[in-house]
Amino acid sequence: MHSRHLAWVIGVLLPAAAMNAQAHHSAAMFDDSKRVTLAGTVREFQWSNPHCYVQLLVTPEKGTAREWSLEMGAPTYLYNLGWRPSTLKAGDKITVKIAPLRKGGAGGLLLEVTTADGRHFGGKK
Amino acid sequence: MKRARGLARALLPAALAALVACTPQAPPAPTNSRVAQFGELPDWRGYWIAEGMLSDISGYTADGPTAPLRMEFQGADAPWKPEQRAKIEAMVPALVAAAAKGKSTGWGYPMMMQSFAPMQFLITPGETLVMNFYRDVRHVYTDGRSHPKPDDLWPTPWGDSIGHWEGDTLVIDTIAVQRPGILFVPFPLVSEKARYIERIRRVSADRMESQFTIEDPETLTGPWTFKLAYVRQPALDRLIHEAFDNDRVEVDAQGELLTIKPPQR
Repeated sequence: MHSRHLAWVIGVLLPAAAMNAQAHHSAAMFDDSKRVTLAGTVREFQWSNPHCYVQLLVTPEKGTAREWSLEMGAPTYLYNLGWRPSTLKAGDKITVKIAPLRKGGAGGLLLEVTTADGRHFGGKK
Repeated sequence: MKRARGLARALLPAALAALVACTPQAPPAPTNSRVAQFGELPDWRGYWIAEGMLSDISGYTADGPTAPLRMEFQGADAPWKPEQRAKIEAMVPALVAAAAKGKSTGWGYPMMMQSFAPMQFLITPGETLVMNFYRDVRHVYTDGRSHPKPDDLWPTPWGDSIGHWEGDTLVIDTIAVQRPGILFVPFPLVSEKARYIERIRRVSADRMESQFTIEDPETLTGPWTFKLAYVRQPALDRLIHEAFDNDRVEVDAQGELLTIKPPQR
């Protein structure tokens, strides 16, 4: 039981809750069991450290626009994938798939992006 | 007259020596032997990421933020002493709680050697530098020096490293690594008496391999050995270090979990 407990901690739980992180914070804040798809307009693309963010304005069919804060990796990680600060611009129409914040609210981890001209980034290839 | 000439002849070497001594000395030009020393060193140019640790746009692997990762320094296969194993189990609640709330600005050693962060090996005849995106820097002295005497050594997050070349393999000996580490999870859970031996070699244009051994008389029953690999990242043409000026992650109102702050206007 003890060794199983250790495996749970060292081999499974901590990777899930903490270790699979880009050196800044834990993944525990995101609910990886859920996926939310949002379509909206980029208000701002923050090319910044320790994380890039997409500020996405999402307008429901009825109601007013809500701004989502969507976290991405650090600029170097995106740079290695071919991204640059100009990859997304204010006004771009995009569709995203996110893992939402566990505590709720208009935020989450940005996993995939599809642009209006059909470019797709992220997710399993 | 003849005597005066003889005197001048006698004083001439001393006068010339004095003149040379007064002339400002230019820095020594690189010698051919220094150039030759560079030429004998392996070429490890490029930017490298530990195998299996390539980030997607999310900053996590493409499998998602909680997909299991094989991170060797967690010690799943380490030969822990029974009392250390029990101690680690007892630490679980604190580790989990700290991980949910913790943040970090770097990895420290040895975690930086299997991280998401791109890194560079800069090799010179007397020293190799290992650096990553988060400005974790290791100075590996290969000029034949020893570690400082125990009384003159204190633990730091990156330890004290000396090394030597065995053909094209860099053998690194690191001690005095501060525990717990500076990352929000303090792996590996060994003591500050641990010794870390790395044998790193470039095996192909796009791959380096490292045999890693950790010895720690306080927490391990014997050497803990495993292999790591580094994969070259051709899309990276530079190592970019950045200001830490948009940290929007904070502990939530309940004080239990991190969340995202609204953007500054």
